[in-house]
Amino acid sequence: MYEAVRAHPEGQSTVARLAKRAADYGYEGVVVRNRSGSRADYDADAIAETYGIDVVDGVEIRAETPQEASGAVGNYRTSRTIVALEGGTNALNRFAVEQAKVDVLAGPMAGDGDVNHVLAKAAVENGVRIEFDLSRALRESGGRRVRAIQSLRKLAEIVDYYDAPYVVSADPTSHLELRAPRELQALGEEIGLSGEFVADGLAEWGRVAERNRHVQSESFIEPGVERGRYEEEPR
Amino acid sequence: MKHLPKHLRPRWRYLVIELEAWPDAEIDRRAFQRECWYAGQNLLGDPGSAAADLTVVRFTFDDGAGSAIVRVRRGETEPARAAIACIDEIDGAAVGLRVCGISGTIRAGEENYLGRGRQDSEERNVVFGNEERVAVVRDGSADVRLDDAFAGATDLDCDFA
Repeated sequence: MYEAVRAHPEGQSTVARLAKRAADYGYEGVVVRNRSGSRADYDADAIAETYGIDVVDGVEIRAETPQEASGAVGNYRTSRTIVALEGGTNALNRFAVEQAKVDVLAGPMAGDGDVNHVLAKAAVENGVRIEFDLSRALRESGGRRVRAIQSLRKLAEIVDYYDAPYVVSADPTSHLELRAPRELQALGEEIGLSGEFVADGLAEWGRVAERNRHVQSESFIEPGVERGRYEEEPR
Repeated sequence: MKHLPKHLRPRWRYLVIELEAWPDAEIDRRAFQRECWYAGQNLLGDPGSAAADLTVVRFTFDDGAGSAIVRVRRGETEPARAAIACIDEIDGAAVGLRVCGISGTIRAGEENYLGRGRQDSEERNVVFGNEERVAVVRDGSADVRLDDAFAGATDLDCDFA
């Protein structure tokens, strides 16, 4: 299972500290999802070797309009393993799910954002994972939390019906906000997402990373094209 | 009142919890107990938190790290785990916590999950982000004191002066 974290300078803890804690908690990897403007400075290989945890280089694009987002997606796609786009308005949500270059639509229900059957179908078609952001269920209280949980439930119903791809994250900004997978599963059970659903969403980050690493590696030529043995000429 | 015969006493499970905070945080047992009950009530509601119990039976905390044992009714451990995961602040101090294990007696919990000797912290001068800072270092982790907050780092991020 993987967790997507915001590291220093956007968050309060460095990638190494988050990775150390995440390894302690039983995660297999962390995805660094700092926003495009505040890139974390770290040595993924050294961290992976010291703490025994996979570190995935990601980015979360924050844009005001789809036009702005479109440029940023093109810029980051070749250099980062996971490209997420921060949703939160209907226009951006729509743009993200229709853009196959985007891996993850982050926080679709934040702000004025909403998801409906049209977006869910587009997400299935383009393989864009919709994020379940547990941060507000974990760290808010009162009415704001009630609304956050309501929107998570709504999202779960839509995603479940269309079998849309999804990821789950607690969106920690420091090692203190990190929670172990079992805690997130228990929270999921309480707010109406099953434990397996949460575990699967956490594991999905790892599958995205693996797939994109394969696609970006030297050995990958084109979709559907594989290097194999040549057919022998019949004599 | 005379105590209950053994077969009528509630079956308890004890959640062993590890706490962590920034080095300047001060958390006492009463504050932690209050947050446990608030978290239970907020997430599980009154009936749920009555079922879960969530009484703090052991608590230690100093220098930004500590541990606690919370009593939960048998069968309610997962809701209790969820409620505890939702504690993010105690008396205004950000905390991180995890359930390290669950056992049937306090003693077994202490022996199985709290046995690890805690390393003491020390203050060191470090270079973090090209500036010299003071950090509280423990077991490879360093909480670097910035101007008005801390940054969590490890020995990979800092050069020790």
